[in-house]
Amino acid sequence: MSALLMDLRRNRLMMSYLIVGGLILLILVAGGVLSDRFLTWRNVTNVLQQLIVLGLVSLGQTFVVLMGGIDLAIGSLVSAVTVFLANFLDWRPDLVWLAVPLALAAAATVGAVNGILTVVLRVHPLIVTLGMSSVIFGGTLMYRKEPGGSIPRALEDIAYRNVGGIPVSAIVLVVVFAIAGLWLQRTRAGRNIYFVGGDAEAARLNGLAVGRITVMAYALSGLCAGIAGLFLTARTGVGDPRIGAALTLQSITPVVVGGTILAGGRGGVFGTFLGVLLVTMLNSLLNFVGVSSYYQWIIQGVIIIVAVGFHTVRRT
Amino acid sequence: MRDMSSTVIELRQIEKSYPGVKPLDRVDFTVRPGEVHALLGENGAGKSTLTRVIGGAVRPDAGTITYLGRTVAWKNPRQARETGIHIIHQELALFPELCVAENILVDAQPRGALGFISDKARHARAAEILAQLGVDIPTRAHIDELPLADQQMVEIAKALVGDLKLLILDEPTAVISGKEVDLLFANMRRLRGQGVGIVYISHRLEEIFEIADHVTILKDGQVVDSRPVGAMTRTEMITGMVGRQLEQIYPARRTVAPSGDTVLSIRGLAAGPRVRDVSLDVRPGEIVGVAGMVGSGRTEVAEAVFGMRGIDSGTIELDGKPLGDHRPRAAIDRGVGFLTENRKDEGLFLNLPISSNIVAPDLGRVTRRGLVDRSREREIARRQIADFAVATPSPEVKVGSLSGGNQQKVLFSRWSRISDRLLILDEPTRGVDIGAKVEIYRLIRKLADSGVGVLMISSELPEVVGLSDRVVVMAQGHVVGEVPGEALSEEAIMALAVKTVDRRNAAARLGEVA
Repeated sequence: MSALLMDLRRNRLMMSYLIVGGLILLILVAGGVLSDRFLTWRNVTNVLQQLIVLGLVSLGQTFVVLMGGIDLAIGSLVSAVTVFLANFLDWRPDLVWLAVPLALAAAATVGAVNGILTVVLRVHPLIVTLGMSSVIFGGTLMYRKEPGGSIPRALEDIAYRNVGGIPVSAIVLVVVFAIAGLWLQRTRAGRNIYFVGGDAEAARLNGLAVGRITVMAYALSGLCAGIAGLFLTARTGVGDPRIGAALTLQSITPVVVGGTILAGGRGGVFGTFLGVLLVTMLNSLLNFVGVSSYYQWIIQGVIIIVAVGFHTVRRT
Repeated sequence: MRDMSSTVIELRQIEKSYPGVKPLDRVDFTVRPGEVHALLGENGAGKSTLTRVIGGAVRPDAGTITYLGRTVAWKNPRQARETGIHIIHQELALFPELCVAENILVDAQPRGALGFISDKARHARAAEILAQLGVDIPTRAHIDELPLADQQMVEIAKALVGDLKLLILDEPTAVISGKEVDLLFANMRRLRGQGVGIVYISHRLEEIFEIADHVTILKDGQVVDSRPVGAMTRTEMITGMVGRQLEQIYPARRTVAPSGDTVLSIRGLAAGPRVRDVSLDVRPGEIVGVAGMVGSGRTEVAEAVFGMRGIDSGTIELDGKPLGDHRPRAAIDRGVGFLTENRKDEGLFLNLPISSNIVAPDLGRVTRRGLVDRSREREIARRQIADFAVATPSPEVKVGSLSGGNQQKVLFSRWSRISDRLLILDEPTRGVDIGAKVEIYRLIRKLADSGVGVLMISSELPEVVGLSDRVVVMAQGHVVGEVPGEALSEEAIMALAVKTVDRRNAAARLGEVA
């Protein structure tokens, strides 16, 4: 009896993966049929190049959602990082070695502050991170109102370089996801995220340092947003205070599409990875067949609601 | 192994207060190694707060704790845990989405190569601990797939991971029975033999005599008695907990003779699969008990009368007039109230203050020109709180923060105001401690004496027998008989209830309280 239930449960998560995988295949087929340029190597590498930014912010969001929270400051943080890098490097292009670690450390710190505020003030993370998002956005605008600044050629390279025909950024993303998966499944710190997300009060009664774990999840999300900002700056070559605005919502879509439940405690990065693939390829396909970006917004909203509804219904 | 001179933990003059309540008042409490120490008390007596103080989840306002010879002041549960204290709370602290092994080794996941958690070692270690307990639970099963008894064993298995010195069990037998209790006790004896100190909380006195060495009784946050179990009788335990004699539990029966007319008259009622053929009458000032097994259709009859459930055939008359409109609103407007068995889901708004809860069903009466008159609402609430002896500092306290007994009194006071003809009660004292029960019984009788008809559904036979003027017995959707007041006894009711069903089964389910 319980063995059967266990199988069902595994199959259920497997089913999530299969459905998303099936949709990805469907997009590939539809793309091949609707456009003779969709399945070209050129477009494949183009899609692979695009994965990194959405992939990283979604990974960060996965940590936070698994832990039972939500991070709505991601988009502003990404924008702030691009502005910081482009401004700093416009001034001193030779200090790349300093600017990049500084940007990542600052992003992780902002994330940690989000975590600390939710722990200390006990304010709902929705409000804390939304407020933080506004603070960061305003602060960023003080330094740059329009896209601008510059970065050295060497940094631009990380967004475009290929190894064996495959974009470096895509390889980086796969490696980062693999490490994240291993970390979540097989280290104490990673498992703690599942414990706190599963039941924070139970975690406390089991003697876990719930506060510390919470801060860690938000700090990781901040760090991921920082790296995403780095790649985005490399790709665009400028700092743009509004470039990340849409990323906050976009970071949630792959997480819920990939089977991580918003209540926390269940899911993982593999599903998020599939979700990132699906969303990126879908957008690419829509571009190819000439669907306006207004519809892409609508589709994005529908997907996120349907995905959450789907998982809620199946859980009961 | 037993060393009576030393102590595992020693609490001296522990105090803890919250606004309006003082759950712990100068409490002394000592547990010795190799001792099962029973902690008795009504709900709200301070037992849970005491265990939380010991476990580091609550910090006392005053007093000292000496643990293994050293004075300690834990800041959080982790510190207490690390030193060998394990608490099994009533609400199990398990992660339902995760597997058994991971739950058992929650803070001690075995690590293998490169410092990564080893899945194999984890399951091997968990299986080893479960084998020590003598239970066979698959370590890969998820917690939410297990029956409650197994979940509890997982919780106990967690205690064995570290070096256990003090184990606290908060009503562990509330969710298990028979063989599972035996297994639990066998494990407790084994741990006691190893010198572990055990604090055991339970409402079942027979268990205290079976397993405990020492008994401490808490009442209103104070220790009222503490003696070896052999030096205390059952009666002394009850008296200590309740603070009064048992004979005074039920109020005197009806003083006003019921008049001839009826407030409620049901004839040949059929409503859904569970109500086949029900006829009964309730007269003003009368408490009519409805007994029968769970599933006999008792609750469904009440729902039909209150308009929550459509009827297939038969009639329901209130004050001689048929119940026309089948909606709760219509019943409320005709002076009928229904106190449902599930007070948290169907009755109370836990996040709202007492005052709002009390006036909820007839807001119209406190509304002026479309606005709720808050001062009038509070005034009504204050009067009700006084009349119904709800223990609260103010009518603005959230209902969710009250004890179960006080929540029930709030609900009761709400419906008493509305029910000037008929009040239906479904399990009116479920989850309520004995002290609050006595008050609720008194309130029910007072309401009946004022001329209201009361229909009371209950699974607790002593309560049905003690309070009712007359008892209607149901089985499988039919009224199978009636026992008049002078002939009332648990045996008489049971004899009727089991006429149509397997006798043993019925006895087991009817006798939950026995």
